[in-house]
Parts: sequence; structure tokens; C-alpha cells
Amino acid sequence: MKETVVIKGTKSGIILVLSKDADYETLKKDVAEKFKKSSDFLGEAQKAIRFQGRPLTDDQKLELVSVIQDNCRLSIVCIMEEDEKLERAFQDSIARSKSIANGSSGQFFKGNLRSGQVLDAETSIIIIGDVKAGAKVISKGNVIILGSLKGNVYAGADGNRNAFVVALDMDPMQIRIADTIARSPDKPKRNRTKETKVAFFEDGNIYIEPLDRDVISDIRL
Amino acid sequence: MGEVIVVTSGKGGVGKTTTTANVGTGLAMLGKKVVLIDTDIGLRNLDVVMGLENRIVYNLVDVVENNCRIKQALIKDKRYPNLYLLPSAQTKDKTAVSPEQMKKLADELKGEFDYILMDCPAGIEQGFKNAIAGADRALVVTTPEVSAVRDADRIIGLLEANEIRQTHLVVNRLRTDMVKEGNMMSSDDVVEILAIDLIGVVPDDEQIVISTNNGEPLVGSDCGAGRAYMNICHRVLGEDVPYLDLEETKGFFKKFAAMFKK
Repeated sequence: MKETVVIKGTKSGIILVLSKDADYETLKKDVAEKFKKSSDFLGEAQKAIRFQGRPLTDDQKLELVSVIQDNCRLSIVCIMEEDEKLERAFQDSIARSKSIANGSSGQFFKGNLRSGQVLDAETSIIIIGDVKAGAKVISKGNVIILGSLKGNVYAGADGNRNAFVVALDMDPMQIRIADTIARSPDKPKRNRTKETKVAFFEDGNIYIEPLDRDVISDIRL
Repeated sequence: MGEVIVVTSGKGGVGKTTTTANVGTGLAMLGKKVVLIDTDIGLRNLDVVMGLENRIVYNLVDVVENNCRIKQALIKDKRYPNLYLLPSAQTKDKTAVSPEQMKKLADELKGEFDYILMDCPAGIEQGFKNAIAGADRALVVTTPEVSAVRDADRIIGLLEANEIRQTHLVVNRLRTDMVKEGNMMSSDDVVEILAIDLIGVVPDDEQIVISTNNGEPLVGSDCGAGRAYMNICHRVLGEDVPYLDLEETKGFFKKFAAMFKK
């Protein structure tokens, strides 16, 4: 026989799953019995409760709460409402942020970023302009700079190690990808030439290489 | 127990940061454990002059806001292992830190370091108040120009009002040739106006520009400014060092002759 009442515990509360088929009076009895039996296991605590499985009126919910409190030492401090629309909204936004994180969407920024300015983007970002020393770009995805990079860039800010950084003139102070930081050499090279380069993460290190065909084929979005 | 020294001036561009970098490095060369704190939030420079800009991950504001531990934010110098830098934040402003928080920070660092040098921002507003909050003594930097001396005078008054007992004067960018012609105040003139003890006179030296651009303080090197800064360090430690004859730094032959005199 299928159980009419199931108790599920979560960190701060309990979820009570009620059978859709049983009638309310039987359910009430089953709830009383179930909590009486589990009283020792549940112990003495303050919990929130959520009802699942069948629609209940507000009066029925309150009645069930008092039945529970009469049969065990728990005290029910609040009833959480189940809202399917809300649930779906949450799931949608989680899914959306995941698609952002893997670098599949992006946005543009036009202008120079100067010392002290920070550009913080949820998506990958394409900067049409320079990132000067003392400026900082933070992105959960990739960073493409159509200009010179002299400042700091933090790509893959939520831990994405496949994130990469491209700049037409690559001369960064610091590049961070996920949790790895690379800094510029202490002795700047003389006669440095402007060259389009890409910075990427591999085997625990950040590498900066000219953006040629081999490197492009290794990029994973 | 360490000592907190604030390097301040009132006027901008007279050499606070250069003095902080060189005196701090010099003290480290003399075997002291030193930390330099850049309190110029929003316009940080000391990291650039020290050549440590590329190592910054956390900064002063992160420490004060407990985003990281002090140890994580301290940057070890390239050349001297007993020299550290606590860089300033570039993206915040002076109000991100309060004098009480600075005092607490200074007190914490005192346990571990012999000298804590605070590089003060120009002005007398919140940044200045933050920088002097935990200070035991002060180095007031000025150039021999009336505007800088006027501001230094104001600063000395404020330091006295805040009960910082020991204040010493650094006269920076002195040009002996101009003093001789009577076109520039001498260090004696400046001392007479400001009425505090002199701790050093640094000649105007183009090597300073080179050293700043390279991110390597020149203290201890064989040039006028390098020797002057090293002498300041000895005097900070309480040693009695005679003042340089700044004339001597001019001309190859005089230098050569001086070598034989030794």
C-alpha cells in the first residue's frame, strides 16, 4: 500500500508530502500517527513546514500544524507556500546565468577605461578602446579588447578556466583567469612591438601567445 | 614595538612618495623590518615608485573591510626581503577608511615591524587625517618654494594639534647653484621659517626621475639624492650624521679629489 503521508527533512524545515487520493479526515489521522511515531527521531526543534502533493485550504493547513504540534515536540514556526511560478522563475534564472558563464553571450563597451575605473560584466565583454594601467575589467566570460591592454583583467570570474583574453596590443599589468593570477615581468622589454595576443589558462599557468591559427583552434567557448 | 612614521607635506608634488620609498628602502637596507603603507586611496603611486604595481591583488581597503588578512595584502619587495608594501585601493576614495581603522591597523603592524611608514596624500582632508591617525612621529617634506613652505607650516600646526610629538623636516629638491645666486631659499632659511628640526636635505637630482620610472628607489646609490636619503635613514635611527656638502656632488674632478681625501 502506498503511504498517504511522507515526511521529508531539509536543513531548516520539513516537507510534508500528502497523498492526493486519500480523503482529508484519513490524512489527518495518518499525520497524527506518523508524527507520534517519529517524535523521538524529530526531537525538539523549531521548524518551518511546507505542504506538497495536494491542495489544502488555509484552515486545513493550520489544523494540520496543530495536529503535528500535539503529537510531537516540534514547534512549527511558519508555513512556507509552494509557488510553481516562482520555482520556475528561479530555475530559469539559474539556467540563464549558466549560459552566460560558458561565454556564449556577450556585450560591447565603447570607450577607454582609465586608472581607477572598473568594468564588471556578467557576460563576456568586447571593449572597443584601451584598458589603461590602473583600470580593471572583470567578466564571468571572455574579454576581448580592441585596443591596448595595460591594466588588469579578470576573466572567468566565476571559476571558468576556459575563459580567455584577447587584446590588439597585449601589455597587461595582471591577468587573472578563474583562480590563477599572472603578473607582468619586472623588467619591461625594450622595443616591444604591438601584436594581437591571447591569454589563456593551461596546466595551472596562464600563457600569452600571438593569436594565430593554432591557438584559435584550441579556444573552447 | 615598532614606530609609525607619517611622511606628509600638505602641498602635492614635493616628494612625499619618493621620500617614503627611499627612506623605507634605506631602513630595510640597514636591517630593519619595514612596511610602507600607501594611504592615498584613489590616487595610488607608491606601488609604481617601488615597482611593485604588478603584484597587487589585495589592498588597504580590503584589509580594513576584512576582505582579506593583512598577510595576504602585504607585498614583499623585489630586492629586500624585510621590506613590505601595503598598497592603496585605486577604485575607492578616501572615505573608504576611517582614522580609527587606520590606528587599529598601525597598532597591529607595530607588533611585527620595526618601522611603519605612512605615505600621506596631499591636502589636509580625510586622507591626511587617516594617515596621521596612528603616527608616532612625522617627516614633513617641503621644497624651498614659498608655496610648499607655507603648506608645510600649516601641516606642522595640524600635527602639533594632533599631538604628534616628533616632527622632522626634509628639504627636498634643493639646487645649490640657485641658492648661491640668491634665487632660492637655502635649507637654513626654510628651517628658520618652519622652526622644527631638520633631518635631511636632498638635492635636486635627475637620477630621481630615472629611478622613479624604473621602479627602483635609489637610496644608497652613489649620487647626491641617494646619499642624502641614506643619511636621513641613519638620522631616523637616531645616529648623528654630518650634513653633506652638496657642492661636492657637482663635477667629476671634485668627486675624484674627494675619493683621494678618504
